[in-house]
Amino acid sequence: MSLFGGIVLALLLLALFCGLTLAYTAQKFSQQDTSLVDQINALLPQTQCAQCSYPGCRPYAEAIAQGEAINKCPPGGEQTISLLANLLDQEKVALDSNYGQQGPVKKAFIREQDCIGCTFCIQACPVDAIVGAPQQMHTVIADECTGCELCLPPCPVDCIDLIALPETELSLPAKSLTEQACIRCGLCVDACPVDLLPQQLYSFIQGKAYEKAASHHLEDCIECGLCHAVCPSHIPLVQYYQLGKSVLQHQDEQFQLAHHAQERFQQHEKRLARLNAEQERQRQARSKLAANAAAQRELIRAALSRARGRQQGDQQ
Amino acid sequence: MSELILLLIGAILVNNFVLVQFLGLCPFMGTSRKIETAIGMAAASTFVLTLSAMLSYLIYHYLLIPLGIPWLRTIAFIVLIAAIVNLTEIIMSATSPLLHRVLGIFLPLITSNCAVLGVALLNINQARSFIEATVFGFGAALGFSLVLILFAALRERLDHADVPEPFRGPAIAMISAGLMSLAFMGFTGLVQV
Repeated sequence: MSLFGGIVLALLLLALFCGLTLAYTAQKFSQQDTSLVDQINALLPQTQCAQCSYPGCRPYAEAIAQGEAINKCPPGGEQTISLLANLLDQEKVALDSNYGQQGPVKKAFIREQDCIGCTFCIQACPVDAIVGAPQQMHTVIADECTGCELCLPPCPVDCIDLIALPETELSLPAKSLTEQACIRCGLCVDACPVDLLPQQLYSFIQGKAYEKAASHHLEDCIECGLCHAVCPSHIPLVQYYQLGKSVLQHQDEQFQLAHHAQERFQQHEKRLARLNAEQERQRQARSKLAANAAAQRELIRAALSRARGRQQGDQQ
Repeated sequence: MSELILLLIGAILVNNFVLVQFLGLCPFMGTSRKIETAIGMAAASTFVLTLSAMLSYLIYHYLLIPLGIPWLRTIAFIVLIAAIVNLTEIIMSATSPLLHRVLGIFLPLITSNCAVLGVALLNINQARSFIEATVFGFGAALGFSLVLILFAALRERLDHADVPEPFRGPAIAMISAGLMSLAFMGFTGLVQV
């Protein structure tokens, strides 16, 4: 066998073997798993505001799963970016200002004396948070409003305002004069009556890694203040834990709100689908009626022309 | 048997592919930011390394030698490794989409991980048997996994340490990797391979 033939044969066999194995595996593992999209979607604020240029939160989650940037969600802002970065093990990036600025949480409010009852805003609301009827004044159910701003453009009389909710400021405690850097002496660990790692929790909260603090059982802290009392650097440890707890609680509330908004949105989608199906059914019924009527008219016309023919025959 | 154990320990600790031979540094730095990611990468690399060590042995001895073209081994091994990495990627995208997304480019980059090709070529150079080749590949994979996961744990701690400003990020990671490498120098002479 020639050398060239040997080379061709060897690579041919090898490539054939590899190709067949890959084809078989691809066939075997072809089912698509949507768990990643669900995981990402759960971290998005579910306002369905479409500021990310995708039609809603889930489409954006699907895009992120395919490699889209994580910094296109203005309502979620820094918190959502940091949660997504943590999930996907990416660098935290600043919000892309092309898609909007992160502002305080807002709620839509209809100035009721100006509302003309056109129902345009009701159709625009993705979570069905606006109630009203044609020629009747509308109003927003404040608890259900996600502040997505989608009702603003359709309103012909500009009677919808966005009102910012007062925000609670969550920031690290101010350094006191006596406070020094942590020297990792471990006295706080011995002092803690519920066997936590106060120094570890402190460094997590200082680094804004609240999730990690939670996984180190921050919520078990009873805020007794013993760690603070024994700390030779006079670090106000309990204040840090209180901050961490309130941030985590705030995050939890946000998740619940997002989950609720998502459910409302799904209901909204279902309602629209039902409405469309109903309209479609009625349209078909009407066109069937019309077809029947046309057939009937055709019958009458035929009968008339027959009768006329007979009359003419009689006259002749 | 003791030969095999020595070979295994040698590959894991003494001739650790990452910290002693400096092979496969790209995933070592790139996927060690979180322990979960590091474990995923370690598992994927272990699968690829062991399988490629076995298959490259078979291909060399039962395809290339009979056809009289042993010098074609580099190309043949690369084709084989690329196929195994593709296989891993297909399986992972179906079984763990999150890990697939997180590892991103580093998954196909296992192909160009020189540790994988290194193991295959070293096995040929040192004329090992099939069992020895497999054990060596597996040991190399375990060594890689060990240092990758240890390093990820270190980096997670570093994230929240008060590192001086200019050293933040990759700089302190490089320094830590260097210190780990120094520590692994201590294993020299533990066993002679």
